[in-house]
Amino acid sequence: MLSYVVRRLFHTLIVLFGISLIVFFAIRLTGDPAVAMFQGAGEPSKEALDQIRKALGLDKPLWQQYLLFIGDMLTGDMGVSFRNQQPVLQLIMERMGATLTLAFAGIFVAVLIAFPVGILSAVKRGSFMDMFGRIFSLIGISFPNFWLAIMLILIFAVNLQWLPASGYNGFEYLILPAISLGLILSGVLARLIRSSMLDVLHQHYIRTARAKGVAEWVVIIRHALRNALIPTITFLGLQFGALLGGVVILEQVFSWPGVGRLVIDAINDRDYPLVQGSVLILAFMLMLVNLFVDLLYGIIDPRIKLGRERS
Amino acid sequence: MKTEAPLSMNAMIPLVADTPKSKEWQRVLRRFVRNPGALVGGVLVLMAVLFALASPWLAPFDPNAGSLTERLAAPSFTGEAAGHILGADAVGRDLLSRIIYGARISLFVGIASVALSAVIGVTVGLVAGYFGGWVDDVLMRIADIKLAFPFILLAILVMAIFGTGLGKLILVLGVTGWVGFGRIVRGQVLTIKELEYVQAARSIGATHFRILGKHILPNVMSPIIVLSTLSIATNILLEAGLTFLGLGVDPSIPSWGGMLADGRIYISTAWWVATFPGVAIMLTVLGFNLLGDWLRDELDPNLRV
Amino acid sequence: MKKNFLLGVTAALIGATALTACSGGSQTASSVKKEEIVVAITEDPRGSLDPIDTFLVTWGSIASNIFDGLLERGEDLKLRPGLAESWEYKDPKTLEFKLRKGVAFQNGEPFNAESVKFTFDRLLGPEGEKSPQRSNYDAIDKVEVIDEHTVVFKLKKPDPVLLTKLAGYGAMIVPPKYLKEKGDANFNTNPIGTGPFKVTEYVKDDHISMEANAKYWGGSPKVKKVKYRIIPEATTRIAELQTGAVDIAARIPASQAKTIESNKDLSLQKSGSPTVRFIRFDVSKPPMDNVKVRQAINYAIDKQAIIDKILNGYGKAISTIQGDISFGNDPNLKPYPYDPAKAKQLLHDAGVQPNTKLTLSIVGSDAVFKEVAQAVSAYLKEVGLAVEIKPQDVQTLNNDLIPKAKAGEMFQFGWGGWTLDFDNTAYLLYKKGQFWNPSYGSPEVDKLLDAERNSVSQEERQKIFYQLDKVLIDEAVDVPLYQDMTLWGVNKKVKGFVTPPDDRLRLKDVSFE
Repeated sequence: MLSYVVRRLFHTLIVLFGISLIVFFAIRLTGDPAVAMFQGAGEPSKEALDQIRKALGLDKPLWQQYLLFIGDMLTGDMGVSFRNQQPVLQLIMERMGATLTLAFAGIFVAVLIAFPVGILSAVKRGSFMDMFGRIFSLIGISFPNFWLAIMLILIFAVNLQWLPASGYNGFEYLILPAISLGLILSGVLARLIRSSMLDVLHQHYIRTARAKGVAEWVVIIRHALRNALIPTITFLGLQFGALLGGVVILEQVFSWPGVGRLVIDAINDRDYPLVQGSVLILAFMLMLVNLFVDLLYGIIDPRIKLGRERS
Repeated sequence: MKTEAPLSMNAMIPLVADTPKSKEWQRVLRRFVRNPGALVGGVLVLMAVLFALASPWLAPFDPNAGSLTERLAAPSFTGEAAGHILGADAVGRDLLSRIIYGARISLFVGIASVALSAVIGVTVGLVAGYFGGWVDDVLMRIADIKLAFPFILLAILVMAIFGTGLGKLILVLGVTGWVGFGRIVRGQVLTIKELEYVQAARSIGATHFRILGKHILPNVMSPIIVLSTLSIATNILLEAGLTFLGLGVDPSIPSWGGMLADGRIYISTAWWVATFPGVAIMLTVLGFNLLGDWLRDELDPNLRV
Repeated sequence: MKKNFLLGVTAALIGATALTACSGGSQTASSVKKEEIVVAITEDPRGSLDPIDTFLVTWGSIASNIFDGLLERGEDLKLRPGLAESWEYKDPKTLEFKLRKGVAFQNGEPFNAESVKFTFDRLLGPEGEKSPQRSNYDAIDKVEVIDEHTVVFKLKKPDPVLLTKLAGYGAMIVPPKYLKEKGDANFNTNPIGTGPFKVTEYVKDDHISMEANAKYWGGSPKVKKVKYRIIPEATTRIAELQTGAVDIAARIPASQAKTIESNKDLSLQKSGSPTVRFIRFDVSKPPMDNVKVRQAINYAIDKQAIIDKILNGYGKAISTIQGDISFGNDPNLKPYPYDPAKAKQLLHDAGVQPNTKLTLSIVGSDAVFKEVAQAVSAYLKEVGLAVEIKPQDVQTLNNDLIPKAKAGEMFQFGWGGWTLDFDNTAYLLYKKGQFWNPSYGSPEVDKLLDAERNSVSQEERQKIFYQLDKVLIDEAVDVPLYQDMTLWGVNKKVKGFVTPPDDRLRLKDVSFE
């Protein structure tokens, strides 16, 4: 177990190193942050640009910049933003609250929808119920997310006036973004639950349980649902990891101050340290979450030996 | 190319059967017809394919011709005289014609990008699973890097560096989607390569290439087909998302995603501009998803995609 | 353990949701008596309200309520006294200001000559090294305090637009004591100025709350509170305006004018803007090197139809790439008329084959111009040119592709022209070798530009500009499309809203009915 964790952490380091290389050079191919600072406000003189580049440390050779960046990273210094001189780590952490809130709420909505739909359509496989449930769960992933979000705003905020359209200001502001995200996640989730339950519903031990006269819902919940939990947890873990990076499009439509918009703005501004730092921090968090999910996996089902790769 | 892509969908169907005997075929067909989900999905996908193949005959107008005088003309069923069945878009082009031609673009983007993902992913998966060892390690770390790198960031970086265009869009979508294929194939290969017949082929001196191509690949086709079908749906949606972020293709090209993203702003003044492309996307994506679900049930019920 | 797992997961999820429910401290959009004006703007000033850090227009929309400069520009874009009551050039390199008396910063710190000196020392010293604002003020050698209310700017070289620049973002006066005590990092989100509103809370990418500064030197503001909300998506901005949660919304796309106009609770407020939109040709790429082709394209596009239909009339036709109030704009010149027949003839004369492919690079996130580009493409198709529109990332297009002549035969360009004098625009866009003009050059144009720069007589300069305008129209280096209008959506309950021509929204005199 310990050696497994150590090996995974070692892998994490390798991956982070790879990402640091990619992001460092990729962002430098997108253009000059000094020019970007002037955002169409007249032409900066060459001297002005040189002075800013020097102040930002961009006059040094690339390899030197990279070594400095990696060196700082190793000592836990993520650098400061070009735009407002604030520490990158602090900028990201300020956003984590909004991002985590939306991620949890979205997953909560998804679970709320996907479990009943998935279970029902597995139990009543091939029935009208199955058909209806599946189409319902697929609706969420059949629209582009921004479309779903705009429709929800128009219906519930503009026409019915039940809920606020956008912002990050309390529970009622969370409802529409959470539903948008939840509907999208629930489609895949319901499908996973259905198929993993189908796997076991016809297996020997289930039939034995039924034959013993155990109530049907007990069979379903106790035996079949547990089987569905593993892929569900895996999926949610992976999604949660991905959601840490924010859901840029939903954040934009709902004016949600999450991590996604921060990073997009950083790219648009060519704010190198913020882009580099945030991509690395997010990748690191994502990999930690994944490791945690894999460990959890072993706890839910002890038959799974850690270290054996999943298929 | 555009007309070939949908055809390859049809070409997939014979693969459904493990044995190419006509009886097996008929049984599959019967199950298909009896399954309402599969039937609906099949019909929806077929309609999209039909739109794509026959667009010049189906479309009432040139999808690129428009006049500002007919800007945002309402659909003719609302009593508007401009004669556009589903109305006109923001520069006065016939919406119905653009949706019909849009099937070509959206299906092409979906299918071509998934094909690219599948080729990369299957190759990586086969090689990693079959050879194992350091090759496997390196390839899986690359996959990890890819997974840990947020998609939208990758898309923005690629487009900021190389610019936009249909080809680049397909490249971005294709390159981002391969990991799923790679992992599934690798997992399958790990089991298959230990099987007797593979061992037997190896002992009689078959080359790696032959073993991979002849003995292993055919046995990992099922999950590839299922995942492909579902990924096509995903990629059609991603294209819309990228246009939303300003990273789409030439707006004159009638892609459903682009039409929807650019039309969103008219939702309260000229609802038809975004609604009909949205419906087209929804139905097609739904179709691919239903079809994919059925294929999975049919081919590989244990597959978790 | 296993049994409880599902329960645990569920509890955790519910808990998380409940937590967020408590943390927000929710507010209802419809309070009984409104005392807070809510303004929706498009983007965050990147986490800093410090004048030294920014060049963003969005900063101007917010911070013009927090800070004052020695001078300010009025709604007519004319300079008027701000924190300085009067000024005088003692000689071309010495500028003296008499400061307004009895003014205090929002924290009570007095405003005086020392604060002016501190502000410019900071901008021109080490603190300003990373500032994009600094180069605007590099004509200033030093600021000297004469007495409590008199300062003198010693200049390295004469700068004819210095006074205009002193009304600009970088020259907003900041409080020395507060900055020294609390530091620069704190100032980003807790700025203090002399302006009518004081920032009380700044949550990045979400909102900036302010309260009225009752002791404002220009009179107490009419509302007690102001809240700026950052809403990037135009659809959402309009939706919020419709729900009444937002009272004033910036940047209504011209194509959306009808949504606001047709709503009985809302009004659409417009103002002229010096910003012009045009398509530039890269003359280094054939067939754009041929002036006939460039003229043909000018004839082929019906600019008035674009203004009338796509912009809903909210735009003005232009003959050169300068607005109607720009010094140097000849009002007698007319834009190229819409004449597709002539365009075809010119293309034929130039030997351009039908269906010649041309690229038009545009900013992918600019929804309005995307439509304009498609209309342009349709017009050019009629005269036999096949246009491929390439949406690009805005920074890549402006700072990489265009300067390196890699943006294709044609590209979208917008120009602010904030000096309201053609000099800056013309020099930067037509003088060969300038950053944004890597390809075009003409001895005649260069000669006129140099003559204009070397002249001190406004009359003579205007004459030269008029001459230049004619040459530029004949040369057809670009297709001048239209001059922007800035559109604001405003709830009809709001009184006293004045559309700012420079986006520097001032809310002091705004109130509710």
